[in-house]
Amino acid sequence: MPTSLLMALIIAAAFFVLNAGAAAAADNERAAELAAMCASCHRLDGRDRGLPSIIGMDKQTFIAAMAGFKSGTRSSSIMHAVALQLSDAEIATLAAYLGALTGEGKR
Amino acid sequence: MTWTRRKFGRLAGASLAALAARPARSASRARVVIIGGGIAGATVAKYLATSSARPEVTLVEPKQQYTTCFFSNLYLAGVRSLESLTHSYQALAKSYGINVIHDAATTIDPVAKTVALAAGGKLAYDRAVVAPGIAFKYGAIEGYNEAATRIIPHAWNAGPQTELLRRQLESMEDGGVFVIAAPPNPFRCPPGPYERASLVAYYFKQFKPRSKILILDAKDTFFEQDLFEDGWNRHYPGMIEWLPAQFTGGIKSVDTKTRSIKTGGDTFSASVANIIPAQIAGELAQSAGLADQTGWCPIDPMTFESKLHPAIHVIGDAASAGDMPKSAFVANSQAKACAFAIASALAGSEETTPHLFNTCFTFLAPNDAVSDAINMKPSDGSIKITDIFFSQVGESDETRRQASRQADSWYNAFTHDVFG
Repeated sequence: MPTSLLMALIIAAAFFVLNAGAAAAADNERAAELAAMCASCHRLDGRDRGLPSIIGMDKQTFIAAMAGFKSGTRSSSIMHAVALQLSDAEIATLAAYLGALTGEGKR
Repeated sequence: MTWTRRKFGRLAGASLAALAARPARSASRARVVIIGGGIAGATVAKYLATSSARPEVTLVEPKQQYTTCFFSNLYLAGVRSLESLTHSYQALAKSYGINVIHDAATTIDPVAKTVALAAGGKLAYDRAVVAPGIAFKYGAIEGYNEAATRIIPHAWNAGPQTELLRRQLESMEDGGVFVIAAPPNPFRCPPGPYERASLVAYYFKQFKPRSKILILDAKDTFFEQDLFEDGWNRHYPGMIEWLPAQFTGGIKSVDTKTRSIKTGGDTFSASVANIIPAQIAGELAQSAGLADQTGWCPIDPMTFESKLHPAIHVIGDAASAGDMPKSAFVANSQAKACAFAIASALAGSEETTPHLFNTCFTFLAPNDAVSDAINMKPSDGSIKITDIFFSQVGESDETRRQASRQADSWYNAFTHDVFG
């Protein structure tokens, strides 16, 4: 393989990795912005007193709960309103982000 | 002076952990100056400080501590201390590296992009966020001015005013009349005056059961009226009377010596009075030319940037934000949208449509709370309600007890979200 082609491939690969990293950071930023909405009522360090903690949950459990709030099979007018604001993609993003929180972060 | 104070603030504000975790401060970091450390200002400071744009965040607030207006009616009822409603700025300074300056901002120069401080010196900014809360339109009721508030409190900013009102209620004789003058729209906390009547009635019922509460309203209807009237009938039958403006002709003047309130028709004598005046955006918003003829500050519904001065954002009660009510929850929701919009602008990344939400817990009695939930979104240059839900008359006692417990839990989580 000519050196120039190898270099081009290495540069392209590096560019791809950097871009993927930037995209992942942007996704994480977007997830944190969505979670900020939750943080008005639920502590993201897990130290809730009364309202349920929403961190460290299994993804599917979280998604099923939000689907229940959206359809109204789970009753809570506040969570019904919140669920109506969120698309299925946003709920999946939140499920992954909140599920990964351990309560050791600052927020 | 500016240099010394800022230097001191930075040193005092930066814990070792924060220093280790953050990139070194450099002249190239964007500077955001936030004026006002209420719910909106404290929230935007925290969310900017944790954004990936990592701007240098300065929060200018004269007071050392903040006492929340929300839940202060529980203090008037005697079931919560004012200390439990008071929060410091230490976590924002220490854990989030925010430069907290306890001073008053006196002027903003939108061309030079500087904020002048009362003690002297100026702060330069790339973006400013103005969150001054409310000011009172003292001229609206004759005889009620700032000096009069020391005799007849408004108690619409929590702190000494709330304590004064509580002392007056405590020393009132049984059989006295407590008069509340409720303001015209728009005002801070739409259910607030009526929650206050409910919770003072709760106190009277136990300690001064022959007393009465009279609400003289500048309006003909009020927020969640059916829920309040149902609650008053169930908990305090015959104790609270509400008179709409169409009945009294509106409130015309106040005599602080006799504690009498003159309306378009009758004059009412009070044992204890609470005048909640008509409101406009806080003073700095007025003097900085951020308010329009309505007295409130027009903003871009996506970014909360002022429509009158670029690079200055206005959030919280001072903002004129379409259908958004003036509540602490809304201030927090706006502050997050504003922080993310500023962070995106600083990073040159894509702007996203904010999720705007409100919920308010309102107490009819300490174990009987109701709530609302409101979705809003930017639409046609303003902010419109898309969904709205209320508690219903006739809900079970258990539902209402649960809501009151949720309200306490919410207070804990919410103030943690705001003050760290």
